[in-house]
Amino acid sequence: MKTTAVPAAIEFHRLHRYFGGTKAVCDVSFDVPRGEVFGYIGPNGAGKTTSMRILATLDLPTYGDALVDGFSVVNDPDRVRHRLGFMPDYFGTYPNVNCSEYLDFFARAYGLTGRQRHQALQRTMSFTGLDRLADKAIRGLSKGMKQRLCLGRAMIHDPSVLVLDEPAAGLDPRARIELRELIRRLAAEGKAILVSSHILTELAEMCDRVGIIEQGRLLAIGTVAEIQKGQTQASEVRVRVLGGGAGLQDWLTQRGDVREVSVAGELVRFTHDGGRDAQADFLKQMVLAGFRIAEFATHEKSLEDVFMQVTQGAVQ
Amino acid sequence: MSQDALPSPLTVPPGWWARMDSWLERAGERLNPILVKEARQALKSRQFVITLGLLLVCVLGWSLLGVAILMPGIYYAATGPFMLTGYAIILTVPMLLIVPFSAYRSLAGEREDGTYELLSITTLSSRQIVTGKLGSAVLQMLVYYSALSPCIAFTYLLRGIDIITLGLILFYTFIASVLLSSVGLLVATLSRARHVQILLSVALLLGLAFLTLMWCIWTAVLISEARGGIDFEDAGLWLVQAAILTGCGSYLVLFVLAAAAQLSFASDNRSTKLRIVMLGQQVLFTGWMSYFWSVDHWEEFILSLLGYSAVHWLVMGSLLTGEWSVLSPRVKRQLPQSTLGRAFLTWFNPGSGTGYVFAVVNLGVVTLLGCGMAVVAANVGRWPVDAGQVALVGTLLCAYVAVYLGVGRLIALWLRRFLNFGLLLPLVIHLFLLALGIAVPSFLQAWLFGFAGFEDYSALQAPNWAWTLVEAIDGTLQFDPTVPILIVSSAAVVFLVNLVVTAREIEQEREAVPERVRLDELQQHPERAVTKKRPASPFEE
Repeated sequence: MKTTAVPAAIEFHRLHRYFGGTKAVCDVSFDVPRGEVFGYIGPNGAGKTTSMRILATLDLPTYGDALVDGFSVVNDPDRVRHRLGFMPDYFGTYPNVNCSEYLDFFARAYGLTGRQRHQALQRTMSFTGLDRLADKAIRGLSKGMKQRLCLGRAMIHDPSVLVLDEPAAGLDPRARIELRELIRRLAAEGKAILVSSHILTELAEMCDRVGIIEQGRLLAIGTVAEIQKGQTQASEVRVRVLGGGAGLQDWLTQRGDVREVSVAGELVRFTHDGGRDAQADFLKQMVLAGFRIAEFATHEKSLEDVFMQVTQGAVQ
Repeated sequence: MSQDALPSPLTVPPGWWARMDSWLERAGERLNPILVKEARQALKSRQFVITLGLLLVCVLGWSLLGVAILMPGIYYAATGPFMLTGYAIILTVPMLLIVPFSAYRSLAGEREDGTYELLSITTLSSRQIVTGKLGSAVLQMLVYYSALSPCIAFTYLLRGIDIITLGLILFYTFIASVLLSSVGLLVATLSRARHVQILLSVALLLGLAFLTLMWCIWTAVLISEARGGIDFEDAGLWLVQAAILTGCGSYLVLFVLAAAAQLSFASDNRSTKLRIVMLGQQVLFTGWMSYFWSVDHWEEFILSLLGYSAVHWLVMGSLLTGEWSVLSPRVKRQLPQSTLGRAFLTWFNPGSGTGYVFAVVNLGVVTLLGCGMAVVAANVGRWPVDAGQVALVGTLLCAYVAVYLGVGRLIALWLRRFLNFGLLLPLVIHLFLLALGIAVPSFLQAWLFGFAGFEDYSALQAPNWAWTLVEAIDGTLQFDPTVPILIVSSAAVVFLVNLVVTAREIEQEREAVPERVRLDELQQHPERAVTKKRPASPFEE
């Protein structure tokens, strides 16, 4: 029996986008399978929004292609639009329209009719918590509620792919947590979600994988742990030595795998090159050397640390 | 009573009103979503409320003022035309100025605010977006008409104006408003650059204001003429109305499709439908002119046919030659493959080269037709036609279009190496070339021979299409073939050069539909899975 391989929900194939001499996106390639939340991280002007707009069929690549559910955004944007919901970094709302009219319009625009449309409206309003604000004018909504409305608009036609550009920008902590929960629930339904954000802690908690982009180039991709592993294995170590750390400082400076030693009373901080096994051996050697170790702690790199390490802060 | 016996709250109670409601609900589902949204939005907007309010105030004011002026004659004289003139002018302002400009702003505003982007990524086609906006404009027109209808009925009761004239005035005002609204929508799609949009909006506003003024004058004249009595029994009058209406209809379709093409995504085929409409317009015009010529036997009909056709293909050709010469893989999936298809349908494919050949060949065919008509008439000897003059004017028109379009296209192709531009720049280039064609020979002749010798036509004026055509129509060129030969030779050279440059466009071959797309198409339309055993026409593979 002939079987057809299921394409990834999102595929970037050597995507390039130039604006005159500026390379907004340069040779970006990656896939996002169904049910995955993929975080797109980069400084301002890195090319995140440009590549997202190309995926949403709002812009054309200079070279390369992007596929949604196996359909090219260049040659079959009409098929892509059935399958994709896009939430840009602006609201794009109409005056003189209330929440339910706004969502109803987009449901009609996506070709939903009759019972199907009413069900989509009910489902979306209930999912985004807008059901109590159905008759409220859009101009009277708070920023958080507008974000929910925009998310509702992006998901009204139940797309298999969601592209969210800075969805948490400007939201208070509670709204952020709620949005994070909504995104996780959508991923659990099998949707592929590409999300960009400047709030890296948010992304670290919600994303299965992340891609770090700078000056249009994809610098790193994978889970946070994989990217950490891809970088140097150095970790920051903090040791508390009973009786003072001066002796330990002398001992440490003679070792080749230790850098950046600093002492403050009993507390000694330094950078150790090596993985978890090496750290265990290292602790054992300190104890055998006669140091009275009361505390030994290593600091795992956060997404922010990885981001700072990977990117140069360059702008174009 | 058990729970099962309770009627569902969703059950519609039987009755006439419920059936009507259900029918309206179903009809509403079929309406264009843009129309529904715009109706909800526009009828609540300040602009609509102010316009309708002003219209009602003006109508009330004119009713009181008019009656006061006409007193006491209003009781016994036929004063309907006087009152109608005022109402028609009051109606013209919102219909020809405000509604078309609102249609323009409605689309331009969406593009400025970014809401158009959200709309464009829905499954609505660009044609649906344009027709939805146009439908919203028509809805506003209908509201204005209904607001004015009691006053129109009042003028009829005052006597002096017949129902047909009344109907024609209202009908043509409506047609003009729809047509201008479609122009407004087309203008809104021409450019996204802020400064160009400002220029376009000023130009549109001035143009609409001018047309509104002209329309008011025309309406007043028509109402005044109607008092003398128009012969509505004359079949010719209604045939002219039919010709005007079909012409307006064809331009409406062209403007709507052109606006939709401008909004469509880049890889879509933006040109073929437009070319079909352009050809349809030419056929329509040729048909009407041939009919009127066969009835009235005026030579001017043939010359008008040739003149209109030349202007038509020059303008359309200016837009077509501004198209990109590269075909997207999506367009290549639909390319004709059979020999007949490639020979005749290739010219409907997008591209500046195919556009150039399409325009020139169509004009050539019309010229041959016009010459044929003149020769037949001259041989029959019943109708006064100078076949030689018609042939000369037709050939010169065709040659000038071939030269100016061809040169303009080559310039646009060269500029495209350095610049990325839409359809406006090629149009400007062609207009500039036409102006140069008049200015440079005139300047040279004045410079070489002085203003005293400027009045005599010379071979130096060959590029001057205006002067040369006037001389041809006057019949003075028939005695000296130098200039016509020069112009036709230049046209042949320019046409051949363009044909060579077009070779790459013509050589394009069909590309296979990707497997993923084919499977999706079959999933959406299983009925299309039936395999065709043989082509339905020689144009198919």
